[in-house]
Amino acid sequence: MNNAAISPPLASVVYLKVHEIARRPVLEQARLRAQLEAIIAVTIAELAPEERIVLDATDGAAVAVFRNPCKALQIAERALPAAGAGLQLRIGINHGAVELAAHGGGHNALTGDGIATAASAAHFASPASLLMTRSFRDALADASPDLDVSLRPAGVFSDAGLRSHELFSPDKGAAARRRKRFLAIGAVAVIGFIGAGVAVRFATVDREQRFDRLFEKVGIPLGDYRQALRRSIGIIGL
Amino acid sequence: MAKGRLTRLGRYKILGEVGRGAMGVVYKAHDPVLDRTVALKTIVMTQDASGRTEYEARFFQEAKAAGRLNHPAIISIYDFGEEGDLAYMAMEMIEGTELRDRMLQGAIPVREAIDIAEQVADGLGFAHERGVVHRDIKPGNIMLMPRGRVKIMDFGIARVRISDLKTQTGTRIGTPKYMSPEQVLGQPVDHRSDIFSVGIVLYEMLTRSSLFLGTDTEQVMYNVANIQQISPSRLNSEVPATLDLVVKRALEKDPGVRYQDTYEFASDLRNCLAELGGREAPASAVVVDTLPLDAPAAAAGRGGEAEKTMKPDAEKAVDKTILLAPSASAPESRLALSSRFNSVFALQRLAAPTKRDLVLFARVPRPIGIWRRLRHDRDLRRLIATIVTAALVGGAIAFI
Repeated sequence: MNNAAISPPLASVVYLKVHEIARRPVLEQARLRAQLEAIIAVTIAELAPEERIVLDATDGAAVAVFRNPCKALQIAERALPAAGAGLQLRIGINHGAVELAAHGGGHNALTGDGIATAASAAHFASPASLLMTRSFRDALADASPDLDVSLRPAGVFSDAGLRSHELFSPDKGAAARRRKRFLAIGAVAVIGFIGAGVAVRFATVDREQRFDRLFEKVGIPLGDYRQALRRSIGIIGL
Repeated sequence: MAKGRLTRLGRYKILGEVGRGAMGVVYKAHDPVLDRTVALKTIVMTQDASGRTEYEARFFQEAKAAGRLNHPAIISIYDFGEEGDLAYMAMEMIEGTELRDRMLQGAIPVREAIDIAEQVADGLGFAHERGVVHRDIKPGNIMLMPRGRVKIMDFGIARVRISDLKTQTGTRIGTPKYMSPEQVLGQPVDHRSDIFSVGIVLYEMLTRSSLFLGTDTEQVMYNVANIQQISPSRLNSEVPATLDLVVKRALEKDPGVRYQDTYEFASDLRNCLAELGGREAPASAVVVDTLPLDAPAAAAGRGGEAEKTMKPDAEKAVDKTILLAPSASAPESRLALSSRFNSVFALQRLAAPTKRDLVLFARVPRPIGIWRRLRHDRDLRRLIATIVTAALVGGAIAFI
């Protein structure tokens, strides 16, 4: 059976939740929504229209990005600084199944676990922060293995349906810290290996000289067998 | 109930029957003292002696509270009393059309719908300020008067009828279609419950469809407590975006997130009207932060009379609903496409994917092996190269 034919499409869903929008006066809600739409318009500008779908949510919006987790992460990271303009976003990203559905009044909707889990992740994110699920991390690592190192575990959270989500958050300094760690490990390795080589070398030279003095003192002639003897003594560790 | 044809009740001379409800009959009557025509609403008292005392006490308490409400959008109560098994309220006699009938006649223009809701919200705001909660706002309790005026009817009746639920097994207490989630869940009800009910009425006027449908009462109650509505503008393109937000805020399941003040709701509706060019926005229409309104009747418990359809096992249904109701914070899993962004190309791709798309869309992420990691991770590659080089150099120094 062809699995591709029966599997629902997978997409990276960026859920942008405006912090406490429902509690604000309606005019402010309208202003925040307009602001959010402007931010989305700017952040998705680089994406081809056939690669993304923008969705309305009751507390914000969501963008489903097809086949490009790196772009999804980019959208989220570009949207976050909006907090500086008074729009506190809580962003969740998930990579999961989505499906076309009817929404009433002849309108289309997108449904699926990809959206629900992204909404859960956004729910757990604090204002002006971003959380992503394990499945998104895996998709990101698959698409760009050097990017997943810049994420760090944020913890395991349980949603209202008692589903556990292992979430990650971006860590700008993680790559630099890893590079420094690698540098330190490399430096230790270099010093260790070369130091060990030098030590072995010196130990060997020193030992040869001690053997020569010992042989001379006891009067053993330095003949053809001296080399063999020295090696034997060296081997047994004297 | 009094047997035979009623000709007089208290000092009122009965002129004719105006209508019948679940609780009693409404008569047109004449007040000989003040020489005016009134509407006389009768309510049948319970036969049980202990229940009757409680019933009477509540009826008179509510009638007094409602009688103090003097507002153009609230029907005036002139008098109340009891005679035999009948309690009665003498009210202002009004000629108009029930909103329920108006909605059945045909579509209500958006501007008119907002105007009706704004007047109702304004009237309710006045009542809430005085600690009176209606608890049974529905199209059948809103009367449309000539020249666009609106009157809210049956103030306080719903609370009187709570005793029916407790004392008379199998009594029909009404449809829960216009109840708030806290009402159907049996939680304490306050003025925010009325705001939710006005939200439902407004939604139905705007969309010309029922918001909470169901094949039975339990399903309707479940839907009231759980189902998120589609934005009215998606069902009626004439609805402005701001009104979507107003309706959404009025219909928040969590009373703490809903409008906290009915006047604020009315003010937002006036702003929508101004946006549509229907009426000048008042100078005070600036939206302010929500302020809680402590209605003394807040802890009155579940209300909501009504009219025709409640099943005899209503209490059981309420209990079941409580068990079924998930948390209000359950994530959304179905999102409508934004009308502000063009997603047609992606939709086409999803609806009719090519063979290549089918494979690509369904491709599950692969775990990264060490070789892929090495190929892409420059830092790791450098580290390993450094270690290997250091090991070779160290070996060379030692043994060559």
